[in-house]
Amino acid sequence: MSEKTKDAAEHSTLRAIPLMRIVSGLLARNSYTLLLLLVFGIEVGVGVFVIRDLHTADVEAQRMYAGSVLGLRRIGELQYQAQETRRSTLYALTTNDSNLQVEYADQSREADRRVTDGIREYVEQARIAREVDLGKRLERDWSAYLHVRDEVLASILEGSTREAVQFDLTGGVPSFERVRQDLEEVKRLYDEQASERLAIVAGSSHRSAGRLIAVLGFTLLFASTSIWAIQRSKMMGAVQLAQLQMDFVASVSHELRTPLAVICSAADNIADGVVEGKEQLTRYGVVIRNQTRQITELVNDILLFASAKDREIRYKLRPLQVQEIVQSVIENTAELVRGSGFVIEQHIAPGLPYVMGDLSALSQCLQNLIVNAVKYSGENRWISVRAVLDHAQSRLHKEVRISVQDRGIGIASSELPHIFEPFYRSPAVIATQIHGTGLGLPLAKNIAEAMGGKLTVDSQLGAGSVFTLHLPLIEEAQLHRAAVVSGLDQLQKQ
Amino acid sequence: MSAERQSVLRVLLILAVTTLGTAPGNAGAAASPPTNSGQNLAIIVNQSNPVENLSSTELRRIFLGERSHWPNGRRITLVMMQPGEPERDAVLREVCRMSEKDFNNHFLHGLFTGEVFASPKTLASPVGVRKFVFNVPGAIGYLRTSDVDASVKVVRIDGLLPSDRDYKIQVQARSAK
Repeated sequence: MSEKTKDAAEHSTLRAIPLMRIVSGLLARNSYTLLLLLVFGIEVGVGVFVIRDLHTADVEAQRMYAGSVLGLRRIGELQYQAQETRRSTLYALTTNDSNLQVEYADQSREADRRVTDGIREYVEQARIAREVDLGKRLERDWSAYLHVRDEVLASILEGSTREAVQFDLTGGVPSFERVRQDLEEVKRLYDEQASERLAIVAGSSHRSAGRLIAVLGFTLLFASTSIWAIQRSKMMGAVQLAQLQMDFVASVSHELRTPLAVICSAADNIADGVVEGKEQLTRYGVVIRNQTRQITELVNDILLFASAKDREIRYKLRPLQVQEIVQSVIENTAELVRGSGFVIEQHIAPGLPYVMGDLSALSQCLQNLIVNAVKYSGENRWISVRAVLDHAQSRLHKEVRISVQDRGIGIASSELPHIFEPFYRSPAVIATQIHGTGLGLPLAKNIAEAMGGKLTVDSQLGAGSVFTLHLPLIEEAQLHRAAVVSGLDQLQKQ
Repeated sequence: MSAERQSVLRVLLILAVTTLGTAPGNAGAAASPPTNSGQNLAIIVNQSNPVENLSSTELRRIFLGERSHWPNGRRITLVMMQPGEPERDAVLREVCRMSEKDFNNHFLHGLFTGEVFASPKTLASPVGVRKFVFNVPGAIGYLRTSDVDASVKVVRIDGLLPSDRDYKIQVQARSAK
């Protein structure tokens, strides 16, 4: 893969990461809506499925009904025409007029032609063996009757009425009875087939209903389970939050109470006139100032975190030199570090490029890390601050890493996933009476992410921790633009 | 017998008139195909009837009711058209060689004496005749050649079909009477 293609791919990956964050945020915020949409979608799917199934069953029922009705009508017509054949033949007996007799013979032959055609059609359309057998038998019996009928007609036309009646009684009646029975059997067969089809349709309908109930039941169960899970998750979240807040309040109260007690005690001593002399008074003043500063810092931390959570902070991003940031942090924490007897080992790689960021925010971020290092170093009073350019990454991913390392108590691997959660404090830490609000690391993390970077941790219990702030490099164009803006600002100031 | 003679004379007279009626210039008229005014009359039987040919004598006997059964044993049923129809006239003239009255008398007499077994069936139209012959296996009747179709069988008379040149039974147009 060429360098350009690689860069493009990396670029698109970079773009995809915020998109994924947005999507996951949306999913988290609109879980109910999404669930409702999902349930709605499933319901629509089930509805379409059921409607289609019912439609198929309906079409099948209609087809069956039409087929049965058509078949029965056809058989009814055949029965009528067969009767008409016989009736017309016998009508010819009622007259001596040859012209009329010929007319009746004609009518009889017309009717018999229709019956013959109907039987042929039935035989042609016969599918099952029973239908074929029945059709052939009907054909045979009808042909036998027609043979007798021809003789009867001939006798009538010849004027031999007695002979005609004899033919009809001996041959016509039994053969016509056989035809009638055949037609009845055809009708019965139609009825049986219709019943079978009806049973099939009913079976299909039952299956449809079963499927419908199963799918609806599943949907209901799924929806209920999902709602329960979401509710539970939210409730657990709320409980956890409430617990964290309670812990926070307790922690903050504790943090406030100590300096307040000191201030109160100092104030009492001054008020009671216990403090004597300027030197003692000055010492008390320093104590009160230090405690007040501690309280102020704590309150500032809380406010900063709260405002960061509300996204009210608008950072002023500008190109910064890494040296400048580290320097600022070291200066800010110098008093604390010195006071605690710590040694800070600095290593800032030479010629580090610019990074884009808000100086005070980044300073705050690193300051929190150093304060933590001081708090959790135990007896080993050594802190290292290193800033290097990460060469392992590609050109687009190049970043500056500023790490704060200590050789303190370290963090258990089970605690690592939680340390960036707001108000979270490890039980072990609480047990060792190390004070804190649980806001330092979340705040530092928020700042790192707001600068387009990230904050990572690598720690081993008992061996110490390394917190690394990853800051992306500023691009040439951005640097140029920033320089222009900065120049304009300076001009405006002048 | 005088009646028979009279009828013979009448037939001869009609023949003479017919012959005279044809112009001298139309000497070959007898050989010319029949026209609308004078068609040949076909003798028809049921399709199942095995008879193919009849002599003039046999035909006369049949039409006078003197023969009751076909060779296959079927009873002969004579079919006639109504009195006054040209076809009936032609048969009376050419086959029976009788007048209408003589023909009727012959049958009345025959039925009375038992010489004749059944009187002819009378149909009003050529279509009726054709249908009757079609329906009755032993029936015999007559039709103009134009009225004949496949439902009935035309028998030869003395070996001749109506389309043959020397076929003798012809229908005369009403206008010729």
